[in-house]
Amino acid sequence: MTARRRGTWLLGVVALAAGISMMVAAYGVAATRSQAAPQNAQKSVGTLKAVLDTIDFLDPQQAYTGQSWWAMWNVYETLLTYKHVDGPAGYQLVPGLAQSLPKISSNGRVYKFTLRPGLKYSNGKKVLASDFKWAIKRGFLATGQGVGFYTDIAGAKAYAAHPTKGGNISGIITNNKTRSITVKLSTPRGDFLTILALIFAAPVPANTSTAILNGTIPATGPYRITGYDPNRGFTMVRNKYFKATKYIPRGNPDKIEVALIGDANTATQRVISGQADYSNGAIPPDRIANAKSKGNLVLRQTANTYYFWMNIREAPFNKLKVRQAVNYALNRATMQKIVWGGLGQATQNVLPPTYPSYKKLTTYSYNIAKAKSLITSAGAKGAKVTVWTRDVSDARDAAQYYTAQLNTIGLDASLNILPRATYYSTVGNVATHAQTGWARWLEDYPHPLDWFDVLLNGNRITNTDNNNYAWYTNKKTNSEIEGLKKSQVLTPAVNARWAKVEKEIMAQAPWAPWSNRVFPEFFSKKMGCIHVQRLYGIDLARLCRK
Amino acid sequence: MAEPATELTLDSASLLAAEEHEIAIVGRSPWYLAWRRLRRNWVALFALLVFVLIVLACALAPVYAKHVAHTGPNEVHAGEKVIVSGKPKEVVGGGSFYDPKTNDFVVKPPEYLGPTWWHADGRFVLGTDNLGRDVAVRLLYGGRNSLMIGIGSALICTFVAVFLALLAGYNRGWTDWVVTRFFDLIWAFPVLLLAIALSSALAVNGFHHFGISIEPGSLWIPTLVISYVLIPYIGRPLRGQILSLREKEFVESAIGAGAGPLRVMFSDLLPNIASTVLVFFTLIIAANILTEAGLSFLGAGVRLPDPSWGNLIASGEDQIQTAPWLSLVPGIAIVLTVLSLNIFGDGLRDALDPRAKVRIEH
Repeated sequence: MTARRRGTWLLGVVALAAGISMMVAAYGVAATRSQAAPQNAQKSVGTLKAVLDTIDFLDPQQAYTGQSWWAMWNVYETLLTYKHVDGPAGYQLVPGLAQSLPKISSNGRVYKFTLRPGLKYSNGKKVLASDFKWAIKRGFLATGQGVGFYTDIAGAKAYAAHPTKGGNISGIITNNKTRSITVKLSTPRGDFLTILALIFAAPVPANTSTAILNGTIPATGPYRITGYDPNRGFTMVRNKYFKATKYIPRGNPDKIEVALIGDANTATQRVISGQADYSNGAIPPDRIANAKSKGNLVLRQTANTYYFWMNIREAPFNKLKVRQAVNYALNRATMQKIVWGGLGQATQNVLPPTYPSYKKLTTYSYNIAKAKSLITSAGAKGAKVTVWTRDVSDARDAAQYYTAQLNTIGLDASLNILPRATYYSTVGNVATHAQTGWARWLEDYPHPLDWFDVLLNGNRITNTDNNNYAWYTNKKTNSEIEGLKKSQVLTPAVNARWAKVEKEIMAQAPWAPWSNRVFPEFFSKKMGCIHVQRLYGIDLARLCRK
Repeated sequence: MAEPATELTLDSASLLAAEEHEIAIVGRSPWYLAWRRLRRNWVALFALLVFVLIVLACALAPVYAKHVAHTGPNEVHAGEKVIVSGKPKEVVGGGSFYDPKTNDFVVKPPEYLGPTWWHADGRFVLGTDNLGRDVAVRLLYGGRNSLMIGIGSALICTFVAVFLALLAGYNRGWTDWVVTRFFDLIWAFPVLLLAIALSSALAVNGFHHFGISIEPGSLWIPTLVISYVLIPYIGRPLRGQILSLREKEFVESAIGAGAGPLRVMFSDLLPNIASTVLVFFTLIIAANILTEAGLSFLGAGVRLPDPSWGNLIASGEDQIQTAPWLSLVPGIAIVLTVLSLNIFGDGLRDALDPRAKVRIEH
């Protein structure tokens, strides 16, 4: 070996030895650090690493997905909010930014609030009563997805027709000195308190731009959003100006890093490998048992219904017999297994079983022969049908099954899969003439109006961004829904009326509901203090490490 | 006395040959010589046989579906039971279920019927997918779609590329410049990204322009998209070859003799690149099948529920732990098809022009 070669060889050995030494040292430090970590720091979480499958926006007047609301519930407070508790008590409305529950006039049309004193945004500025009015106006100016909930405020419809920054909604009167907010309705609404608790109504600083602002609007909750990177993730850190109340806790995690990962396998693997503490994404059915052994699997039963809508304006679904045939063609028990791996409950109802007004419907038992004969007698055999669905694995699987069954009963069905981001706006556009397709509804707030008024009231149909994908309208049920809007309290008698409305609607079969899904929430074994808030899901503010 | 004829002339040689009853030398065409070289290449011929068998099997998919499996490619059998070796088995069994005693769900993975290997009267030979569809039937129908797109797009791509290369190579000048820039424009984009973009744009409403109407779910969409994005990969090398041939004397003499451009292009130039075109065609089929598989895997190719090898692999991804055959089987099919085509293409290239180095690079 030449001297030069010898020198090179020696250098290589030294470098290798140095590398190995560094690795051993690093391992030793890590091991020592983990041993030195507090054994019983129950409430200390430090940084929580979470995985969400998707969000739409982080703007309170725009966001309309469960995932976005999961994050923003602890960022943007509303006048009223829900208790941070498990179980049905989580549906109870409590004061948020308001000092107390409102005074409601005897005719149910006037609501009076007073803001809590000393409220500040995360940028240190005061929260003013007029900021609430600006938030509602901002929703109309930006054509936010939730504006339809606020059109019963006096003057809102007129404002919505020609919204301007300087314009006024006469039904909202605020006084910054006294911190008072008065909301007058043009017609009483039994669900108005719950509507005020929607994040759409979260106050934002006056004159906040009407452009979509993801995570940059100052917060009023225990956390604020920083570092939003579209399609990749965002971070939530403590809001130093937030003061905990009886109903809104300070929050255990110091920081929450949220990664947006659409692929179910990747999201699950992140938690298994320890790169994340929590994932709310779907777990592939065949990995659920594996996930259960490698982590902490929590099954969350939330109010939801998965269904196929049938556009009653479009042939062949303009015929009742065809819609009924479709309902008979679905083996709902089998669908739970093939789509969710069994984590779902078959249903033929619009409302989920969590509602007091729920009365189980069993009209359409699985019967292919009956379905075929209905199709034949309706003269719809061979009718071309396009089934619409969105490009998410469970929606694709359900729609493929649905399409196969439509073909089995004699229709000529094909599938059209749209990207997730454009799906609802496409099928909710009258110009699309979508015949039938997949949909789901997760409750916005716990009231039957959130289902029937939004999804099946013909008076609420719009040509674009329509939520009534069946374009269902019926004079009788429309007027029943309008009448029930005025009922302030869900008494047994009111609930019975809702059950009757549901039965009447399903007799017309604009939908083929098929599942109330059970959502798997996946945590690493290190996580504790897992609480499920009925409306918003996993309460990240109360999560802790074991 | 005359000197003995010691010099071998043509006359003397033919006399000698005739005397010895030698067979006269017969001229052979390049194609015959190529065939002789090819038929000695057992590996290439075996690869061709494998490919032909795959094509035949896929072509007979409807026969298999009707007479053997008794089901279609999109028919769902979840919820049914099938007799396997005399015992009833659920097509899709297992899974989580609600236990009313504990008021909670018992979490279990679903169990998809695995390969029955002819123990169920020909049903579900390769098992089922998560919707209870027959994997073997979907594999064959998927192969039909993938091969139709692969071969169809190769035909279109080759035809257009040859035409453009002839135009550019023969005319040179401005025509060559325009055609080359057209190739460069397409080549500037990564193949798969461009294909995904085009497919996605046509996915919702289809193509309805210039008197052509293609519905969104049609196989023509991935076929035309793939043919379009791979045109330069044949066009450019052919153009180079034609530019070189253009300078040969036989072309000049054809032009001098009054032959028109079309005559020269198709009667003089095209036959001289035919062997190259043939090799390219074979190799581009393989490339197109792979591109189609990639597009369908990403959801931009053959649309569900219609199968293709690519979307079968994607569909099986969520069941990779409990039913790995769902992704493995179509993957093996792609490997066998592409490998056999590539091996045969290489053999064909060696047979047609042992000196040429013809490659398709991505």
